[in-house]
Amino acid sequence: MITLGTQGKNTFLDDVNIKSGANVLECYQCGKCVGTCPVSQYMDFPPREIMQMIKLGLRNECYMANSHWFCLTCSACSGRCPREIDIPAVMEAVRHLAINENYVNDSKKVKEIRKFHDIFLDMIKRYGRNYELRMMAEFNIRTRNLFKDMHLAPKALLKGKIPLGVKPLKSAKAIKRMFAIAEKLEKNK
Amino acid sequence: MKKLTYFPGCSAHGTSEEFDSTLKLVLKTLDVELEDIPDWNCCGATSAHVMTENLAYALPMRNLVLAEKLENTTMGIACASCYQRMKVTKVHMDENPELAKRINTTVVEEGTYKGTVDVKSMLQYFYEDIGVETIREKVTKSLAGLKVACYYGCLLTRPKDITKFDSPEYPVSMDQICEALGATATEFDYKTECCGASFSISNTEVVINLSGQVLAMAKESGAHAIVVACPLCQSNLDMRQPDIEKHQGVKYDIPVFYITQLMALAFGYPAGELKFPKHIVPVEGALANIGKILPVPEKVKKPIKAVEAESEDK
Repeated sequence: MITLGTQGKNTFLDDVNIKSGANVLECYQCGKCVGTCPVSQYMDFPPREIMQMIKLGLRNECYMANSHWFCLTCSACSGRCPREIDIPAVMEAVRHLAINENYVNDSKKVKEIRKFHDIFLDMIKRYGRNYELRMMAEFNIRTRNLFKDMHLAPKALLKGKIPLGVKPLKSAKAIKRMFAIAEKLEKNK
Repeated sequence: MKKLTYFPGCSAHGTSEEFDSTLKLVLKTLDVELEDIPDWNCCGATSAHVMTENLAYALPMRNLVLAEKLENTTMGIACASCYQRMKVTKVHMDENPELAKRINTTVVEEGTYKGTVDVKSMLQYFYEDIGVETIREKVTKSLAGLKVACYYGCLLTRPKDITKFDSPEYPVSMDQICEALGATATEFDYKTECCGASFSISNTEVVINLSGQVLAMAKESGAHAIVVACPLCQSNLDMRQPDIEKHQGVKYDIPVFYITQLMALAFGYPAGELKFPKHIVPVEGALANIGKILPVPEKVKKPIKAVEAESEDK
């Protein structure tokens, strides 16, 4: 259902504007962002359409689109936007809202992207830093794709590109506490 | 002797170890002493800001707070991704003291954030704090004959309101440094296109496509090699190059150097110290061009000049 009026509570547009600090209403649909975006061809809806969908209050459709998962925050679009809208911040706002409200896009690609980020954060939570080999191995295990990139492994290991060791930070506990508090804050929103 | 607080980033102990070690050689020649941030943590890179707001600020803020405890006023960051997360956090915190206080008091326990340390990428540090002329003076072995495409990627100059460095569309700082080393910087239109970044692992086909375009354009510009200042760009363009060649059916054979490797080479360090064996694409072919006399170009090329900064506050 399309909701245009405020009816006393925040519209989708308000939510996105408040969270991103941008003003989506400024968008006049020139499409420069789409031409600039390196990944727009992979998106369900390119940035220009997402902007319009936010204006129209299409909350569910925006949440379920894969667009905000494909955005790489390269900021090429916002640099060229004639209205100087921080489009990556808008994409990020939509993504954070979707995560907080438990909307799950279960397409294979989005699931894999999400899994990668989960594993990355897990590495930081556990060790305070990221260890690339371990992260890649876990990604392969958790996406049930054991042989992905295995052809790169012998060369990379031989050349010492990827270290095997994992050495947690001295203050690993402080990082764990940081994660615990941050997770609590996200949940209480 | 200058002093600089140093943030190497996680990949300095892994995929970009050659960036870290050659950076240290270069700074030795330039008389800069590095001071590591004690027990620094991962900045959160791509993933923290993708998934959560609080961690995206808290992880870099912890490093900033630790850096403020050292005496130096500037923090130099090797990895472009770390640089951006740290800089974004610093700019947002300085603009919004209320948010800074909230994140600081609830999530970061190492101390009070004051905002006294400036954040710079190593490229920016070379360009602004060391200067192209000083770099030129230190060259003992000119790289004349080597043609390079300088690839900046997304994060070193964008978003311009955050980085406030060089041009977001056609930056020239790395080109000028390479020319000071004696090399020739080609006119390369894909300087700030995206390489696909962290999709390298989770969505490899995107990287094959985007990095493939960068390689194709670099080759077309006539470059023998690509020069970068970002570990993720290097690994996408170098490690994925055989896959890209297979996918496109084209042989590029174009090595991808860190800017510090070329600087160290021009400063007279022996090639044996520059970790060239770590490259997936062999570097020997490109380096063989050093010392060769380039054919005189038909048109006299104008020297590269910095594009006027667009921001009004300058």
